[in-house]
Amino acid sequence: MRSFRIHFVAACAVMGVATVAFAADAPKGQSDKAPVIPRLADGHPNFSGVWVRDGMGGDTFGGGKRTADGSVCILCPPEPLPGAAGAPARPRLGPERPKYKAEFVAKVKELDDNQVEADPALRCGNPGLPRIGAPDAIVHTSGQIVFLYNDLHGAAFRIVPTDGRSHRTDAEETYLGDSVGKWEGDTLVIEAVKFVEDTWLIDDGAFHTPDLKVVERIRFNGDKIEYQVTAHDPAVLAEPWQMRARNLKRSDKPLHEPLPCIERDLDHVVDRTHHDNAR
Amino acid sequence: MTRLYGRLCLAVLASVLIASPLFAHHSVGGQFDTGKKIVLTGTVDRVDWVNPHIYVHLRVKDETGKEAVWRLGTVPVGMARAAGITKESLLAKGQIVKVTAYPARDGTQLLGFLFRVDYPDGHFVQVSPDRE
Repeated sequence: MRSFRIHFVAACAVMGVATVAFAADAPKGQSDKAPVIPRLADGHPNFSGVWVRDGMGGDTFGGGKRTADGSVCILCPPEPLPGAAGAPARPRLGPERPKYKAEFVAKVKELDDNQVEADPALRCGNPGLPRIGAPDAIVHTSGQIVFLYNDLHGAAFRIVPTDGRSHRTDAEETYLGDSVGKWEGDTLVIEAVKFVEDTWLIDDGAFHTPDLKVVERIRFNGDKIEYQVTAHDPAVLAEPWQMRARNLKRSDKPLHEPLPCIERDLDHVVDRTHHDNAR
Repeated sequence: MTRLYGRLCLAVLASVLIASPLFAHHSVGGQFDTGKKIVLTGTVDRVDWVNPHIYVHLRVKDETGKEAVWRLGTVPVGMARAAGITKESLLAKGQIVKVTAYPARDGTQLLGFLFRVDYPDGHFVQVSPDRE
């Protein structure tokens, strides 16, 4: 707990410094041509900011269907929702799911079949990396990048050194692992290791071993961030698994503390109906 | 922030609710009897504006005058926010509201899924299209 507090205080301190740094580094007067990549004093891209997923989430459920008297139908948008009759096919995880070695396929199915009981993320647990997805806010300084998450289970953060150091030799297993970053041109490549075993890579029983290694690649694509993740776990995966890339757009809204997470539904589920976690 | 919109059951709940009038074979249908609608009239005592799902506590008085408080789960906060619904709007300033709900399948008393709220001025909040 003490270590957590120290890190949290450190993260907050970095946020304060980085906010100033970011303000100083941010380009002024964007032209109508190609967006200028904001850069740190050391010349590397500066990913600081609050970021939201582009093209999913809030955009999909943007307001429901309203009438003049103020009535609203929450899940009745003007256009058919993904999955509804007449709607265009929505990308599903099916073909993009991790491919397991033959001897582990049955275990994945068993976990999937018992998902309501087996999936720790459904009970307000930390989903872990990579399932937690892209960060919601980034505080970036030379030599260090801080990822902040406003996750359904609560707040989470990662402090990732980018100064060339190696993984900590005393790192313990955690949900988000021990991370170090390095630059490949303008792409930041982060390698994370040392994970607890009880999280899933993604929905539906996609377990992993403690030897999981996660590699994230982050770069600017125009004024958006492209976020890619690959999971390496050769003991159980037939091949490295690459999560569908995310495009993040900048938000002008501040990041706030997540709401409390209090799960009280699953004990009342009377069958094994699935409760997916779309990401 | 991303996850308040995109995570835990948002997309799936949306597609399930829209695609199936009975919400069958997925989480809502696994917990609540979507084939049975009950109508409750009362005042909202409390709104638990929490993840993963909002819970509304509705104080209801039966025909004998006996009071009971129903616990009514509903959509995730992110989905409600996107539709412009707030904790305060669900509290309705203590007015008497009419709530349409699905009861719990496991027989738990006073537990349901809030499908629709009708306010005294005639406007309403509904979770998905009414297929009946």
